[in-house]
Amino acid sequence: MTHQSTATSLSYREALHKAMHDAMAGNPNALLFGQGINDHKGIFGTTTGLADKFGKHRLIEVPLAEEGVTGNCIGAALNGAYPINVHIRSDFVLLAMNQIINLAAKYKYMFGGLFDVPMLVRLVIGRSWGQGAQHSQSLQSLFAHIPGLTVIMPASSGSIVDSYAHAVRKHRGPVISLEHRLMYDLKFEPEHEPVVLGATPFSQRKVSHGSDVTIVSTSIMSLEARRAGEWLASRGISCDIIDLHCVSHIDADVIMKSVARTGKLLVADTSWQPYGVSAEVCRIVAMRDPGVLKAPVVCMGMAAAPCPTAKALEDIYYPNLTTLTDAIATLVRGKKDNGIELPHERSMADVYKKFKGPF
Amino acid sequence: MLTAPNERLKRLIRQTLLIRRIEERVIELYPSDKIQSPVHLSIGQEPVAVGLCEAMTPQDILFTTYRGHAYYIAKGGTLPELMAELYGRSGGVSGGKAGSMHLAAPEVGMMGSSAVVASTIPHGVGAALAAKLRGEKQAVITVFGDGATEEGVYHESLNFAVLHKVPVLFVCENNALAVHTSLAERQAFDTESHAKAYGINTTVIEDGNDLIKIGDVTAKLLASLRAGGGPEWLMIKTYRYKEHVGPGDDFDAGYRKRADMEPWWKSDPLNRYADIVKGMEAEVKAEIDRAVAFAEASAPPAPEQLLTDVE
Repeated sequence: MTHQSTATSLSYREALHKAMHDAMAGNPNALLFGQGINDHKGIFGTTTGLADKFGKHRLIEVPLAEEGVTGNCIGAALNGAYPINVHIRSDFVLLAMNQIINLAAKYKYMFGGLFDVPMLVRLVIGRSWGQGAQHSQSLQSLFAHIPGLTVIMPASSGSIVDSYAHAVRKHRGPVISLEHRLMYDLKFEPEHEPVVLGATPFSQRKVSHGSDVTIVSTSIMSLEARRAGEWLASRGISCDIIDLHCVSHIDADVIMKSVARTGKLLVADTSWQPYGVSAEVCRIVAMRDPGVLKAPVVCMGMAAAPCPTAKALEDIYYPNLTTLTDAIATLVRGKKDNGIELPHERSMADVYKKFKGPF
Repeated sequence: MLTAPNERLKRLIRQTLLIRRIEERVIELYPSDKIQSPVHLSIGQEPVAVGLCEAMTPQDILFTTYRGHAYYIAKGGTLPELMAELYGRSGGVSGGKAGSMHLAAPEVGMMGSSAVVASTIPHGVGAALAAKLRGEKQAVITVFGDGATEEGVYHESLNFAVLHKVPVLFVCENNALAVHTSLAERQAFDTESHAKAYGINTTVIEDGNDLIKIGDVTAKLLASLRAGGGPEWLMIKTYRYKEHVGPGDDFDAGYRKRADMEPWWKSDPLNRYADIVKGMEAEVKAEIDRAVAFAEASAPPAPEQLLTDVE
C-alpha cells in the first residue's frame, strides 16, 4: 500500500510551525512544553506567535528540568491532555531518559493496557558549525531499542505535516521525533515529496526507484542519497532509495524486496554504526535472506568518536556527498577504482546552510 | 474523654484491617511460590493510605509507589483482581503484567505505581495541570516516600507545581527508611523546611496511625486545592513493620531496633480498637478467601498476551 504524502512547498521550519499550530488549533487539550518556545526565537521559528494565539497556559515555557517536565507530560497525557515537548538540542533529552524509558514506554504494557500515553517529543539534531560533542548527537537508536516507543526522523516538509498530524490526532502512544537542524531552511518541492510505502504517515518512503543498488537512509542522509543518486543517474548508476522515516518500526519487506532486486545494500544513517540503524538494517537482511546480497553491505554514518568542534575535523566526521557517491559507485562497480567522476564537496554544512533546493 | 467509635471510624478501621489481613495472607502464601514477584508490604503504614483516600472522590486521582497494595485497596480497587494480579493470572487487574509493584485501577482514580523511586511525582503535577486546563474540580494526590525527596525530580516537581499553581497534594509518607538506610544517613536538609523554600504550604502529621486526623487534614487540603489555592504539601510520619521487600521481619538485621516499633504498635488502630476489630475479622476473612479463590481459579495469561498492548 502506498500513498502520496502532503504536497507542500513549505520549508521544513514552516512545516514544523504549521504542525505545531494545527496541533494547538485542532485539540483544545494539546499542550506544548519547551525551554525557549515563547522567546523571540521560538525554537528556530517553529513555535513563534503560538502563545499569543493559544495562551501561555497551553504554551508552557518550562524550567530547566527535563526529567520533571517529561514526567509532567506523561501525567498530563494520562489525564486527557495531548502534550508536545520540544528539546532544542536532542542531547538534552538524556536528562529525561528515566521518564521516557521507564515510564512513557512502559505505561501501557506494564498496566496491561489500562492506560495510553499519547505524547510527542521533538528533538532537534543540532549538527554543524562547531556544535561539538554535546550539541550534535543523533540518538535515534537509543529510543528505537525500547519497545513501546515510536521513533520517526522526518526528512521532508510533507513528512512533518503528515506524521505530526497523525501523532496528534490518531496515534495513542509516545512518539519521539528527531528533526534535523540542517534541513530547517530547505524548501521541499511538492514533486519531490517521496511516496509513502505503507498504511500510515509513519511508514517508510520511496525517494527514487532504481535497479543497481538499494540505499536505506535516515533524515538528512535521505537528501544526500537523493543528491548522490541524481549525480550517479547521469553516469549510468541507478539507485533505489528508501527513506526509513520510522526507525523503530521498519517494514522488512520493503527493504528485502528492493535488495532482492538490486543485490546490493548501502545504509546511510546520521549516527554511529554499532548497535544503531545500520546494525538493525543488517540484522533484518541477515535474518531474512542474506543470500540476496551479491556484495557485503556498506554502512555510512558518523565516525566512531564524539563529535569534534573544529571544522577541519567535523567535515570528515560525517559522510558527505563526495564520500557517499564514491561509496555507492564502488559498491555497484565492485572495485575501489570505480571510474566514476565524483562531485567536489568537502562539507555538507556549507551546502545546506545556503541550500535552497531542489528538494 | 473517650467516645465510642462512630460509623466513620469503624469504616476506616475495617479498611485498615482488610489491608493488614490481605497482606498477612500474602505472607502466608509466599512460601508456596504462588506469588512470584517482589512484594513491598505496607503493614504498619496502612492508616496513611486509608486516611488519604477517605478524603478523595473517585474522580480525584492518585499516583503512588511500589508499596502500593494499601493504596489500591483504599482507593477502591477490587480485591479478587488484586489477588489474581499478585498471582500473575489473566483475571488480574492488569492481566498479570503488572504484579505487586504496578497496581492501578483507573476507574477509581488509581493511576498507577512505579518501582522507580520518585518517578510518579511529576505525573501527579502534570495530571493536575491537565485537570486545571480542562476546568475540572479534580484534585490529585501524589504519594512518595522520604527517600524520594532526595531525587532531583522531586525538586523539579515542587518548582513546577508552585509556579503553575496546579491542584496537586504532595504527600511524603515518611517511614524514615530508604530500604535499610536511615534519614540521618541520607539527608543534609530538613524535608519540611526544604519544601517551604518553594513557597508551598506545608503540614506535618506526627501520628500516621491517626486515621481520623489524616482524613480530616487531607479533606481540608483537597478543598483548598479545588478552590484554586495551589499545591499543598503534607508529611505523614509512619512506621514500616516489615522488611523493605519480602514477607519477613528484619529486626535482627541490625539497622533498627524492635523497640522503635513499640510506640507505633501501641497507637496502631488495629490494637487500639481491638474489640471492634474482633467483630470484623470473620467478614474480612471471608472477603479475602473469595479473592484468593478467584486468583486460584484464574488462568495464567495466554501466550499471545506476551505481545499485546506494547504500544
